[in-house]
Amino acid sequence: MNGGVGLCIVLFLAAIVGTQAQAPAPAPANLAKTAGDVQYVGSQACKDCHSDITDTFYKNPHNKSIASQKELPERTGCEGCHGPGGQHIAAGQTMINFRSAPKEQVLDTCLKCHSQTLSRANIRRSSHTVNGIVCTNCHSVHSSPVTKNLLAKAQTNLCSDCHTNVRAQFSLPFKHRVNEGFMNCTDCHNPHGAFQPTWAYAARPRNVDHSKANEEPCIKCHEDKRGPFVFEHSPVRVDGCKSCHVPHGSTNSRMLTRPVVFTLCLECHNGSGNLGRQANGVKTQARTPHNMANPLFQNCTQCHVRIHGSNADLRYFR
Amino acid sequence: MHRLILFFCCLSVAEAQIPVAPTPQSADSTNGETNGNYNIVNNLEGGYRFNTVGGNSLQYRSSVNYGNGVRLLGSSLAVNSVNGRGTLVDQIVLTTQGLGNDPYQSAQLRVERNAIYRYDLGWRQNDYFNPGLLTAGGNSQHLIDTTYRMQDHNLTILPQSKYKFFFGHTGSAQLGPAFTTEQGRPGFQFLDVRRRWNEYRVGNEFSVAGVRVNWMRGWENFKEDDNFAPAPAGVPGFPATANAGLLSLDKSAPYHGNSPYWRVSLFTGNEMIDVNGRFTYTAGRRSFVFDETAVTGATGGPQTTTKVFSEGNAQRPVATGNLNVGFRPSSKLYLLNSTAVYNARTQGDSAFTQFSPGQPVTTISYNYLGIRTVANDTVLNYQVSNAIGFYAGYQYSDRLINSIEQTNLTDRPARQTNIHHAGNFGIRLRPLQDLTIQFGGEVGRANRPFTPVAPNHYHALNTRVYYRTRNLQVTAAVNTDYNNHSVTLSSYSSRARRYAVDGSWTRLSWFSVDAGYSKQHLDSVGGIAYIVAPETLVTGESSLYFSNLHTVYSGIRFAHRDRVELFAGLTRVQDTGDGRSTPAGSGVGSPREIFQVVQTFPLTFQSPMARVSVKINNNVRWNAGYQYYGHRQEFSPNLNYRANTGYTSLSIALNGSRISRP
Repeated sequence: MNGGVGLCIVLFLAAIVGTQAQAPAPAPANLAKTAGDVQYVGSQACKDCHSDITDTFYKNPHNKSIASQKELPERTGCEGCHGPGGQHIAAGQTMINFRSAPKEQVLDTCLKCHSQTLSRANIRRSSHTVNGIVCTNCHSVHSSPVTKNLLAKAQTNLCSDCHTNVRAQFSLPFKHRVNEGFMNCTDCHNPHGAFQPTWAYAARPRNVDHSKANEEPCIKCHEDKRGPFVFEHSPVRVDGCKSCHVPHGSTNSRMLTRPVVFTLCLECHNGSGNLGRQANGVKTQARTPHNMANPLFQNCTQCHVRIHGSNADLRYFR
Repeated sequence: MHRLILFFCCLSVAEAQIPVAPTPQSADSTNGETNGNYNIVNNLEGGYRFNTVGGNSLQYRSSVNYGNGVRLLGSSLAVNSVNGRGTLVDQIVLTTQGLGNDPYQSAQLRVERNAIYRYDLGWRQNDYFNPGLLTAGGNSQHLIDTTYRMQDHNLTILPQSKYKFFFGHTGSAQLGPAFTTEQGRPGFQFLDVRRRWNEYRVGNEFSVAGVRVNWMRGWENFKEDDNFAPAPAGVPGFPATANAGLLSLDKSAPYHGNSPYWRVSLFTGNEMIDVNGRFTYTAGRRSFVFDETAVTGATGGPQTTTKVFSEGNAQRPVATGNLNVGFRPSSKLYLLNSTAVYNARTQGDSAFTQFSPGQPVTTISYNYLGIRTVANDTVLNYQVSNAIGFYAGYQYSDRLINSIEQTNLTDRPARQTNIHHAGNFGIRLRPLQDLTIQFGGEVGRANRPFTPVAPNHYHALNTRVYYRTRNLQVTAAVNTDYNNHSVTLSSYSSRARRYAVDGSWTRLSWFSVDAGYSKQHLDSVGGIAYIVAPETLVTGESSLYFSNLHTVYSGIRFAHRDRVELFAGLTRVQDTGDGRSTPAGSGVGSPREIFQVVQTFPLTFQSPMARVSVKINNNVRWNAGYQYYGHRQEFSPNLNYRANTGYTSLSIALNGSRISRP
């Protein structure tokens, strides 16, 4: 059965590839087009002066639209981004320069093509856009030193240029391994804007990428903490992992917010205020057998082993 | 001038605490070898890592973990078709890092035929080690030495078409030994961690009536088949009585389940209005069995057999939705309304049976946790001119939490609601072409937060200033985040302030410098209640925590043409705590020593490094580097370590590509 399905998929892919590979190359589009007083001249005309860019442009992901020969002139090649070149060639008129263009123009130009992608569906509500950070702040279309996504720098350095305080957190003794190259910022964040977090009730965090099923991104790697468990440690589910952990880095082991476990637990389990399941406080320690004077009871997770959630015990004992 | 140079050299830290190897060099993408319709750029860096560790090597393994041996430190292969219409492939990009036993290994592959398919593979492996550390000294009882491996496959058919098809698989496994504990048993258990997670997904994207529809169906499967074994009595480092009297233990606790999900996303828009939404439904389900047989007693003497059996299942159906509606009456004004809905119900039952020498005991427990959240957020963003713009927004959230903890028939459902209001405002200024100033703030109020540490009465302020030219970049940022739960401080209050400044100067081809400093202050006070013998509840005391974290990093680079490049860097992290020189505080918060000695933890972590790269010929460079790691905790010196690490390697460019700096 599985072999049959696999064979079908292989044949399906082969058919598509074969069809495309054998199809004659589409006839070159008429690259010169006049619409009113704007004149598109095609990318070939740019080569005479800008050969330093055009000679290696076949390595650029934007070359796909040129290679397809199906796009209209205003949506492909040099003029797709920089605007019609007719007046530029004839009279030296300036085309769109992304270094000095207004932020809205940069965003609008890129989104002409790139808005039709799910991962960028929220770009206008992203905190980057709201704070005036647009595409060319992070992407370098013509001189990207990295192999993917035309980033202006390696991703870690790119993000830390602005998020200097976060950069410092990844230098702490206990941290997610971003500097080591094992993780990237985009494993947890979507710099193009994310949907409003559904697992949190405040406006923050922003630009945090959801897992595929709209849950907290931590479970993309820490699946064993996801559950469901018969006995959930409810703050994990209600307020999320950051109730006890610092996501970027910490001076405390296991990236906890406190250097020992018992203060972490007791600061919530203090019975005060209108908190908890019934809004009458989070339960305090049971009177037996606890005794904080005994070192045995100063490490809560020695007994409450399954602190993220348990199936066999209401108090997370096993 | 000499003083200035000396200042930079002393400060010299480089790019954060990025490890000294691999060498940050790659083949020049403008070169390579063109063969027929394909251009190939290929380079690799192979070499040898070494290290020596003094002090607590377990702590070193937990936080750094680089070892000795031959490594393929990094490699890159890029194949591109020149005409963009290759027969089967237009692009192949493969990059790797750390292969050959580094604790952080990864590989990424992209294979693409324009307009036909795109395949992305990500693979990574991490050696995760934790010897049961607690920052405050001593050991916890949970040690783990596992390998975590993850792979992610994504295949997109017709990636440039209006009709795309998606196929994917993500899988991970965590395998290795661990040490754990269990309530009611004085000793420790060996644990063979065996966790596997797999997700398969299929999806499609198309347009209908001007609306883009993207749907995905996924199946997630999780298996945890840990095996347990009793640690023998007298394990070094643990109490001599640990497991004494436990003659045998047979325990297994398989935990399996699936989380199939649907996700549908819709988006559409024109110049005036855009609408997008995302809706998911996940039907999580897990089943488990817990089976344990323990024999206790004196060897050769009377023995007691206790058997515990527990079984049940848990379900969590989760439905979520997001809907964003944006209006753009002009290119300068954007008004957005976002709604998010979350509805989760976690429920399950667990039957616990213990067969003791007396009568068997059976307990059936049932648990329910329902969370329903509705949040709505409105933001107005207006760009007045090139020099000034602002945004302002308001958010309302309403959360309902229902729960049942049924351990006996008298338990009753509990319910609470939590309503949250927040407003935010920000302004961005660009007084000069290269200067940007951002200021933003948020104020929030929640009436019944779930935990004391959750946002309640809070406000946050953020300011960033950037000055950027082609060769000089300076960034400064200030953030404050205050959260207060009660004026009496019987509950919780925290104050966090962060300051950071960073600059880099790259005007000269032979010299560049990058340096930064950040300070993070945190102080919090939380009311605590705890038990001391004989069964006495102590209240009215507070748990305090102070952290004053200073981080300095800098890097300095010298180059002699492209012949020789020298790089030196330093990262230094110092938590000065609250300034005390001994663990015991002044009695503030709680008179008990166990609470005073955990109020602050001064420590220092530093990592200077140096690297040299020498050109042998156009295609080969020799690299060598050294990095020191020093970890010092003032109050727990048994956790300190110092490590000398280094490497030597050759960077080789193949196919005519030439090594150069990115």
